Amino acid sequence: MNAPLEDPRLLRGKPVKDRILGEVADYVRSVPHIGKLVSVSIGDVPEVAIYIRNQARAAEAVGLPFDQQFWDGETAQEECKLRIQEMNDDPDVLGVILQRPVPSHINVRSLQSAIHPLKDIEGMSPASIGNIVYNDVAMAPCTAASAVELIRETGLNMEGLEVVMVGHSEIVGKPAAMMLMAEGATVTVCHHMTRSVAMHSRRADVVVVAVGKAHLIGADMIKPGAAVIDIGINQVRHEDGTVGIVGDVDTEAIKEIAGWVSPVPGGVGPVTVAILMRNAIKAHQRQQEAGWLNI
Amino acid sequence: MGANIIDGKAFATNVRRQIANQVQRLCDDHGITPGLAVILVGEDPASEVYVAAKHKQTVEVGMASFEHKLPADTSQEDLFALIDQLNSDPAVHGILCQFPVPDHLSERNVVARIDPAKDVDGLSVVNAGLLASGETGLVSCTPLGCLMLLRDQIGNMSGKEAVVIGRSNLFGKPMAQLLLQEDCTVTIAHSRTADLSAVARRADILVAAVGRAEMVKGNWIKPGATVIDVGITRIPHPEKPGKSRLLGDVAYHEALDVAAAVTPVPGGVGPMTIACLLANTLTACQRANGLEEIKDLTA
Repeated sequence: MNAPLEDPRLLRGKPVKDRILGEVADYVRSVPHIGKLVSVSIGDVPEVAIYIRNQARAAEAVGLPFDQQFWDGETAQEECKLRIQEMNDDPDVLGVILQRPVPSHINVRSLQSAIHPLKDIEGMSPASIGNIVYNDVAMAPCTAASAVELIRETGLNMEGLEVVMVGHSEIVGKPAAMMLMAEGATVTVCHHMTRSVAMHSRRADVVVVAVGKAHLIGADMIKPGAAVIDIGINQVRHEDGTVGIVGDVDTEAIKEIAGWVSPVPGGVGPVTVAILMRNAIKAHQRQQEAGWLNI
Repeated sequence: MGANIIDGKAFATNVRRQIANQVQRLCDDHGITPGLAVILVGEDPASEVYVAAKHKQTVEVGMASFEHKLPADTSQEDLFALIDQLNSDPAVHGILCQFPVPDHLSERNVVARIDPAKDVDGLSVVNAGLLASGETGLVSCTPLGCLMLLRDQIGNMSGKEAVVIGRSNLFGKPMAQLLLQEDCTVTIAHSRTADLSAVARRADILVAAVGRAEMVKGNWIKPGATVIDVGITRIPHPEKPGKSRLLGDVAYHEALDVAAAVTPVPGGVGPMTIACLLANTLTACQRANGLEEIKDLTA
């Protein structure tokens, strides 16, 4: 049997990821010296192991040193903050990644704020988010930036495009809405209090979904030819008892209506880690411009 | 002529009265006087008028007003030295630099120099980020004023369709964030929006802030909507030569026939801005002293 042909309606993340990592690797090769990325995990959080592994692999692929630090789960907030401030001052640290979740005694927002905006490659601190709001989208939160990157991949001109963002979370929905607005789209943000999500999603040229509800968006909610970007990750038990991952979108059904749909897994996910690496080289450029690096 | 006319002037007077009571209480209970520092660089006549109005209202509510007038050729270094000094002055709880500043100074850098906890204009990158992250910061004055008017007019806004026309950093973006925080379904429309009138017509809450006189016609408005008009355009007076009059972004008389409530121009949103500047100064002072802030006066 022949391998099935690739469905052009599926917006796969892998080629986008490979392209971005290639660009990042070229940049890293072109500079004489570049600092390391530091991944900080506080306490024992087995669920982040896979994310760290992916980040470490991507860093290796582009030639960025990757330092995995595991801090004791009892480490006090103040001590964590001090260590982050030391990294802010260390010219050999290019960027800091704070893995989540953190132990309950740690205020994660306060720690994220402690990371200097020029080293905040996850784009999570208030100053980084504020930059997004003000149209400086260079170091954007990775998931939101990945969604924008996949939309760009369709070739649609974002100026004047009707975009409906379903979900208004602080880490994905709101920054994605701001970034799409910066691109010139007319953005509507829907959420759990919206009277009729379908009324909005049906008129949209692009629907971006980040809610965390398996198959919330069905084919009847999508305009023919629209692009659908699925950011949801939901664990479900299939009828045969196996466990799998599905998105917020009923991909199989929507594929027949939409112009493009990003699958889960394999859509936004793979792009995220590539964006993290791209943010790292943006950080390098910004640190250079700020006169931090004497090279 | 069915619509309720939202009297921003009367509302702002009430807000200032509430602030004055709080200032009195802070003084009586804690011996604290909130202080607002205003920096004016150069001699822009319009700015002089604004600064004078701010000073007058600051003093009227019982706050301390610190005015710093600097010559137009003030260097960035000297301006920053003043801002640094105000940042560390415990008697100063709010700092604002009146814009525009002369060309050799960058507004962005000036705002960035102000301690975010004292940035009562709410324009710094950090405060914009805190608002977008749903965290406690200081919110830009005009959107905060509109929020107060909407809360008073509508009460619970959850699930309402809100459309903001205009995506400026100063107004449109923070306004959209505030409406999202109230659980509205929010659309931000702008000059690139394909069918602006159709988008506007969806809105239960329509906020116009583009600065194009009477752009929003009566047939852009959903019957029963609440319309907030933030635009101000000065045009020559049609009957009195040499005089001018102010127009909003909304065709006011048409809106009166369709909407449930409308803010007039002038006398709607305008008077709320300075009232909210004082509200932010009070809030910043209460936070700086670890005291409870007043919910009605914040986002």
